[in-house]
Order: sequence, then structure tokens, then C-alpha cells
Amino acid sequence: MAVIEAEHLSKRFGKKVLAVDDVSFSVEPGTITGFLGPNGAGKTTTLRMIVDLVRPTAGSVRVLGSRYRDLTRPTTRVGALLDASGFHPGRSGVNALRVVAASAGISYDRVDAALEMVELEGAARRAVKGYSTGMKQRLALAAALLGDPEVLLLDEPANGLDPEGIRWLRTFLRARAAEGRTVLVSSHVLAEVEQTVDDILIISEGKLLAQGPISELTRTAQPVVRVRSPQAEKLEGLLVAKGAAVNRLGDALAVRGLAGAEVGEVAQRGGVTLHELFTEQPRLEDLFLQIAGTRRDA
Amino acid sequence: MSALLRAELLKLRSTRTALGMGIAAALVTVLPAVLLIAFLPKGTIGGDEARSILIAGSSLVTYILLVFGILGMTGEYRHGTITYTYLATPRRGRVIVVKLAVYAVVGCLAMLLALLLANLIGVVGLPIRGVSYPAPDGAALADYARQIVTAGLITAFGVALGALFRAQVVTVAGTLLWALMVEPLIVALKPHIGTWLPFNVFNQVISLGIGTESGVAGELSRPEALLVAIAYIAVFTVAAVFISMRRDVT
Repeated sequence: MAVIEAEHLSKRFGKKVLAVDDVSFSVEPGTITGFLGPNGAGKTTTLRMIVDLVRPTAGSVRVLGSRYRDLTRPTTRVGALLDASGFHPGRSGVNALRVVAASAGISYDRVDAALEMVELEGAARRAVKGYSTGMKQRLALAAALLGDPEVLLLDEPANGLDPEGIRWLRTFLRARAAEGRTVLVSSHVLAEVEQTVDDILIISEGKLLAQGPISELTRTAQPVVRVRSPQAEKLEGLLVAKGAAVNRLGDALAVRGLAGAEVGEVAQRGGVTLHELFTEQPRLEDLFLQIAGTRRDA
Repeated sequence: MSALLRAELLKLRSTRTALGMGIAAALVTVLPAVLLIAFLPKGTIGGDEARSILIAGSSLVTYILLVFGILGMTGEYRHGTITYTYLATPRRGRVIVVKLAVYAVVGCLAMLLALLLANLIGVVGLPIRGVSYPAPDGAALADYARQIVTAGLITAFGVALGALFRAQVVTVAGTLLWALMVEPLIVALKPHIGTWLPFNVFNQVISLGIGTESGVAGELSRPEALLVAIAYIAVFTVAAVFISMRRDVT
């Protein structure tokens, strides 16, 4: 049984803004699923609909087989990091978590455990207003972990984290998945989650563009041929004439739609000197651009 | 419910808002009392009159408690803590009802402390000016009881207003403007309408109104005023719960 199941989920704010448009997806147990898309794509709205903070205009979403509001002690089943600024600035970190724990009927012992998990014990007695963005992010993560939930929903958890923090987050998420927990993590920085997730959901302009295991989606995506040439502009023209999609930056070209050998032949026939040519399996970013581009073209 | 109660009490204890409101309430209670004792010419007023002046500050305490109630609810939206509150308790009506109950009790306790403080100052200070402070009789104790109940009601009313309107500054400013300017104007110009307006109804529960011969700025008996006051809170609370259940927390 899927842990999260959204069916034809839509959300309209006012008459003009259709934030989420007929989105259906499922998240399987024990996986880390990346919920990817640019800013304003509808990721946050979708995550908030899962936990009943935002009411869908149409469709429904079930988590662990029920509506979130029907779960008994929901924060012990589903932990959510949705808003790192959702703490009273005058409250200490430990008291901010105790308030969350008390509301959910969770023992204060878990507060200490959660603070330790996010490595924030040293700052626990300080007022939240003195925290950096990264510390607030860790505090919000601790709040999500308080109930030791089997499902974690994380909205842009790497926001405000430094490179060391991002690496820590990756390890942290992997450890949660290894424990058999399910994680749905949204991000607009694709490279950030590429090394972490098993499955991905790609959303843009409120519409779900793709979903599935990251390995399958990248395998079916077109490879990218990367070329360097002192005559890059001329080569670009020749490749476009052959029907390839080309991005040029200085003397470097990224070519889609032709195999490496074909690119080499086009260059040779056109008398273009090449300094470098290699084929690269598409990265998540390439996949996203390809899918979003296909949709725009359609 | 007990989890929500525990959380609300911790919320009150873990920020300086309640402390600040308590200090403000103590100041408005102490200040008139100290001024009275400092400037009272000897032998000009009796003990009962002195006592009514001493507890006059408590009418200001009710406004502080009204603001306290509004801040208690709107603060959740202002600081974004409402997200965690509703994640833990998706049945939003429960959150509002429990907060309302907690703040009502706190309002009663705050008024009790204010009255104790005013009386303490009277007992200690008035003899310095040659006025003996009389022990509160049954009528005075009944007045105190009504003030305590009204303080609880008005604090709860603040919570209901906060839950309904959410925007902190607008709700505080709008409510004070209504309570201190608009409503008194309507009471003065159209007393038959003014009788039924909320803050005048609360005033009629206490029946310490100023500006009318009877001392009561309205036509309702105390029990009637109490019922209407409770009805006001109930209506605003039901409206707040109804709207909160449909509002998005973004």
C-alpha cells in the first residue's frame, strides 16, 4: 500500500491562481522521494494539502490510508518540516519543541533526543530569534522528528544550510530511509537531492510532469553530448541544421538529439576542429529541463 | 484535550507576553492607588469611597486582558506557530475552544490578583492618610466576583476575536477603537442600541458603569447581561471555528 496517495489534487487560490492542477501520485513505503520543481511550481501547496493545512479545491489525498485529520496523534505518524520560521522568536529552542511535543502528547524526553539528532543541543536554551537560518531549519527538522514518525514530509529542508549542513542532511535522510521510514522531500535545487532520492516527482506550473524511480527516468532520457571547439558557433549551426537541440556557452556545446558519433561526423564533414567530445548520461537537471521543455513545446 | 491544555499553559509560561501583560495590569492597578494615597487630603473621603477609587484601575485591567486574549490567538498566526498547532491537532475547533478556556481562567486569576493588590495597597496605604480601610462587605465581595467573571469573559472574547480576524495589529487596534470610541459614542447617542453592544454588555455584568445615574450604562439586569455576554462569546467562537476550518494555513 502506498504511504501517500494523491488523486486529482487541485488547489486554486482566488480566481486567478491555480497553484496545483489535477495532480495524482503515490509515494511508496521506505523510499526517499524527491518532489522537484522550480519556485512557485506548487510543491509547498501540495505538501500542505497532504497534512490538511491547505484544503484542496478538488481531489483528495490520503496518508497512511487515511485523511491526515483522521489519524490518531498525527504527528507521531507523519512528521512535517514546512516552515522553518514557525517558532515564536522569544521562545528558547527547547521550549519551542516542548510546545510542539505537548500539543501532540509527546514526552519531553523526545525533545532532548530530537535536539541531539539535529546536533542543536548547545543552542537549545537560546531564544529562537538568535538562531541563524540554518539553525532554524535544524530546529524545524527536530520538530518534525519529535513524534518518531514513520513518514517525513520535508519542504526545502536544505534552505539556509551550508555545504556541510547539506551533506549532513543527505546522510540524515539516508539513515531515516535505512530505518524503513518514508521521506517525501521537496527541493528546487535539483543537484541537492540527486544523490539522495530513490524516486522523483517533477512538478511545474502546478502540473505533475513525471514520476518514477530516478534511475529509470534518467535512463529513458536522452544522453547529452558535450563538445568543445574553437569554432563552436559554426558547429552549433551545423548541429541545429541536423535537428539537434544545442545549448552553447562560450566554446562548449551541450547537444541533445544526436549520438556522440553523429556529432563527430557532422564536425568532421564541416571541417570543424574539436578539442573535446564525450557522451554524458543525463543528470537530474537535464532530465528536468528536457521534461519541462517537452511540455512547453507541446 | 489534556495535551492541548498542557501546551497552552507552556505557551503562556515560555514567552514574555504574559509577564509583560501582568506587569502592565499591576501598573494600572497600583498607579491610581498610589496617586490617591499620595494626594488625598486628610479626612476628605471615607473608606468605602477610597476603596472604589482604589479598584478603579481594574477597569483598565479588563482592557489589558482583552488585548492579552487577542494576542494569544493572533500571535499564533503572526509567528507561524499555528502550523505546528494545527499539525498536532487538525481538529481546529478544539484548539480554539481550549485556548479560549485557558485564557478565560487566566483572565479571572489576573483580575483576582489585581483586586488583591488594590486592596493590599488600601489596607497598607490609606491609614497613612488617616483613612481606615474597611474590610470588604458582602456587596463589595459580590462586585469583586462580578469583576473577576467579567475579566474571564472579556479575555475569552479577545481570543474569539483573534481567531476570527487573525491579523494582530488590525484586530488589537480595531477592537480598542471600537471599545473605547465607537461603542461609547453609540451608547451616548442611541442608548437603546448601545445597551446591546458587546463591551457595554460586559460593563453591565459588572454594573460599575460610569456616566449614568444608576451607575449602570444600560437597560439589562446583571443576569441578562451575563447571558448576552456569553452569547456574544459563543457566536464569535462558532464563527471563528467555522471560518478556521475552511481557512488555508499557508
